Amino acid sequence: MSNLAEQIREALSMFARNGIEPALIGGLAVVAHRVVRATKDVDFLVEAEAANTVHDGLVDLGYQCLYRSEDAANYVRAAEGLDLLYAHRPLARRLLAQASERETPMGRMRIISVEGLIGFKLQGFVNDATRTRDLDDIRALLKIHRTSLNMGELSEYFALFNKPELLSELLG
Amino acid sequence: MNFSDNSNTHAQTAPNHADTGAVLAREAGVRFQGPNFVACGIDPIAEWLGLMEVVQMLCPVWPVRDSPMQGSNWRL
Repeated sequence: MSNLAEQIREALSMFARNGIEPALIGGLAVVAHRVVRATKDVDFLVEAEAANTVHDGLVDLGYQCLYRSEDAANYVRAAEGLDLLYAHRPLARRLLAQASERETPMGRMRIISVEGLIGFKLQGFVNDATRTRDLDDIRALLKIHRTSLNMGELSEYFALFNKPELLSELLG
Repeated sequence: MNFSDNSNTHAQTAPNHADTGAVLAREAGVRFQGPNFVACGIDPIAEWLGLMEVVQMLCPVWPVRDSPMQGSNWRL
């Protein structure tokens, strides 16, 4: 198993030991939704109430906390990174609850819906417009899943970030 | 010499006028068409692991985050 796969398996074990059920988001969730590209982004959505437990678990695994707020945290361990988003608003809590479980080479993993993933990618882009990778991911996800997407839910996310025209442009 | 008539093949592969406008420069002139992992029965995460084995051989050290996440628009 590669270092990357081992890193994810180890994180999943830590979550399971602590009774936490995260959902995969970010670049690896993009892969899980059939847009296979190179990425080392390991990002999880967890309940905000679990933030301290997860922090302790990651520190025990040798991670160092670079940043932590009520919304997100960044951890690094040598050349490995792991980012967290905390679900404390109703939308994120709903997306976390609705994440679907899947068997993967690293173990069972819950993965956020395509619509939710696009919402989080949009949030990342709105927060940092230099992250054009997020737009490319959204574009690719829209192309692959176009016929099955819940467009009402997607419109809700783009409206939330005052970007309704961007959805039309990306669907163009 | 036997030349086969490949005009049909040409017609199928050449972009038509309706498609031409949709081809994106960022995709190097090639329409993005991901493989159908469902139909092929391939697990995309297993596929990614294989890809990353090669990527890590070619580029063993990737830059790690050295600054925190940006922004103040956390609405989800």
